[in-house]
Amino acid sequence: MSAEMANEVKLISGRSHPELSDKIAKRLGIEVARTISLNYSNQETSFTVGESVRDEDVFIIQSTATGDVNEGLMELLIIISACRTASARRITAVIPNFPYARQDKKDKSRAPISARLVANMLQTAGANHIVTVDLHASQIQGFFSVPVDNLYAEPSFLRYIRENFNPEDCVIVSPDAGGAKRATSIADHLKTAFALIHKERPRPNVVGRMVLVGSVEDKVAILVDDMADTCGTLVKAAAVLKENGAKSVLALVTHGILSGNAIETLNGSCLSALIVTNTVPLGDKVERCPKLRVIDISPTIAEAIRRTHNGESVSYLFTHAPV
Amino acid sequence: MVRNIVILGGNSHPKLVDSLCNILGVPACNRVLGRFECGESRCEIKDSVRGKDVYIIQTGFGGNGAKLNDHFMDLCIMISACKTGSARRVTAVLPLFPYSRQPDLPYHKAGAPLYKTPSVDSSKKDYTFESVPATPGPGLPKSAGLTNGTELTSRLKSTLTNGTGPSAAANGKSTGEGYFPVNGVDDTKGANGVNGANGVNGVNGVNGVNGYVNGINGHRGHSSSVSSQSAKYTTHDYENVSLITSFQARPGYKQWVAQAGTLVANLLTCAGADHVITMDLHDPQVQGFFDVPVDNLYGRPLLKRYITQNIPDYKSAIIVSPDAGGAKRATAIADSLEMDFALIHKERRPTKITDRQNASMMLVGNVADRVCILLDDIVDTGNTLTRAAKLLKREGATKIYALLTHGVFSGDAISRINASALDKVIVTNSVPQDEHKALLGPKLEVLDISPIFGEAIRRVHHGESISVLFNFD
Repeated sequence: MSAEMANEVKLISGRSHPELSDKIAKRLGIEVARTISLNYSNQETSFTVGESVRDEDVFIIQSTATGDVNEGLMELLIIISACRTASARRITAVIPNFPYARQDKKDKSRAPISARLVANMLQTAGANHIVTVDLHASQIQGFFSVPVDNLYAEPSFLRYIRENFNPEDCVIVSPDAGGAKRATSIADHLKTAFALIHKERPRPNVVGRMVLVGSVEDKVAILVDDMADTCGTLVKAAAVLKENGAKSVLALVTHGILSGNAIETLNGSCLSALIVTNTVPLGDKVERCPKLRVIDISPTIAEAIRRTHNGESVSYLFTHAPV
Repeated sequence: MVRNIVILGGNSHPKLVDSLCNILGVPACNRVLGRFECGESRCEIKDSVRGKDVYIIQTGFGGNGAKLNDHFMDLCIMISACKTGSARRVTAVLPLFPYSRQPDLPYHKAGAPLYKTPSVDSSKKDYTFESVPATPGPGLPKSAGLTNGTELTSRLKSTLTNGTGPSAAANGKSTGEGYFPVNGVDDTKGANGVNGANGVNGVNGVNGVNGYVNGINGHRGHSSSVSSQSAKYTTHDYENVSLITSFQARPGYKQWVAQAGTLVANLLTCAGADHVITMDLHDPQVQGFFDVPVDNLYGRPLLKRYITQNIPDYKSAIIVSPDAGGAKRATAIADSLEMDFALIHKERRPTKITDRQNASMMLVGNVADRVCILLDDIVDTGNTLTRAAKLLKREGATKIYALLTHGVFSGDAISRINASALDKVIVTNSVPQDEHKALLGPKLEVLDISPIFGEAIRRVHHGESISVLFNFD
């Protein structure tokens, strides 16, 4: 095979987040490949390929739509396996919001390590490379034996804070001990103060008592986390911060999963704003929640795709957000 | 009472799990299996599985508040949880194997539904077997079921006059193009783009027929008539019509549909399944997709017993296979019961180049004045089955039974079967049948497979041969 042979980026979009795929395609100046996913009436997923991927560099963009995680995952696996059957040169799964990232350890007897299962499934289907954003635990990369590029929303967040606030007035707050590293990193970059909320969590999706470590008095408290699911934690944390004298409280979160009654919870909370990236399809949530603001993450992902395809280093993106 | 065994049930078929536990004399494994609000599966296994022989029961059927893919992921997660929980061996028991049917009929070979374009003599008052009964689509008022085609005939006529003309004109240019949907896919069957490709049909003039046929673009715009309403919905009612209509393969590339069979097999083994037990695989080759042992049980003994015990004078009845693919299955039963056999054959040989999509069904064998027993492994949308029944009725069959292993009844299958010439449909409970039973009433009869699976599990557990199950009557 000659080296001059065309080896182009093929962008395949799953059904979960076509808007993101369109933005990435636009940014890369290419078209989304002609494929279509459907469900048969017996609920089996079917994937039709409408153009050749032979010897191409395939990038499959599939986020996980809230409530339809398994559908999206199966669809992704079928697309990957179809591309492998169709002799793609390399298959990169771009999963902005990695599914089952929270089920990453055996915290109880016989608890499933579903994140590892997903990792194995992706490799079994034939993925050669994974691109994701803000993995819940970066150790998940260790579940893979193929390269995983874990991109960060942090540069985008830093820019947002610098553009909208005076860093001197802010305190970066981590809503739990697990996110302390993420929050301190942002605080260090902005050279601001840092605080932490310690919480007791009796059961999943239920929030227990919260204690603030550090001072937020007369400051803008910025909660930083990787995902906002039911928003129980965030809203409770916001209340604690308000009680401790914060001027206003906002939250910067990478993955706005916002399941269940999250929108109602947010609307009734003392959070002044929730800023999320568009890694997860938000649907009509932006209309339903005036506090919700969205940062576009597609430039970062598009740049990572471009660099991966051209064999350039991706690490520049860990500290810089493309404009 | 079987020792050292754990029966772990998924959510897809709780009744089967209960009866298997009863047969084996063990309680079902205590577990929490549900979904987090974000849509991720949640699985906690409460009982110890260390060193145990674990059997996980999950059938390939969407229902009980979750979709097929959810059930499948649940299964993989349960397998993996048992594996990490130090189970000695994990066996996945899938009475109906998901994604086992490589879409053939009624799908187009490129994955699209195949709309038959019958050669209808519109002057004929009798109903034709090619026509598909009108079925209501979501959001539409239900139309009355078709009764022997009198209503249909008038519909056919109106469709013929409305539909064929424009479609012939519109599609004329595409005839040579084969599969490439130069016409833009039509919103009615939307279906999949491939249909648009069947441009060929319009040309023959005879086609068009009922609402289901590919009038292709011709039906667009006839929104007022009943026939065009039914034309909006097809055997496979795809969800996102707008998405489909915008889909076109790149010119010069023949689109194809991914086959997930191998993938599903690989995913199960990657999750940690050491053994798979299933029943009546649509393609026995699926067994070869696995690196672990697969026991493919047969529903045949059950069906055979039904024939001998419940069909009066069964020796004079005739076994019919609704398509050539199932002929082997059907002849096996016909031979062992020493019954006559007939076959419905789908003629798909092109007689002329513009005619290659025109399939016609023909019957090989004589069924006049006899009781017919249609035998197949699965009924999904019921298209093949109901059409076969029509043909048999037309050929003079007195009574038509349909015996199937897996009764999926997806889409509009229930209403289709209710309106069909089938007198009785007999399925096994490889998927939950309660809902179907409620809708089909006495027309549907359900055979219990749990004794077969119970015995298979017992034998596999004790390391006994299960081949006796393959030829037991």
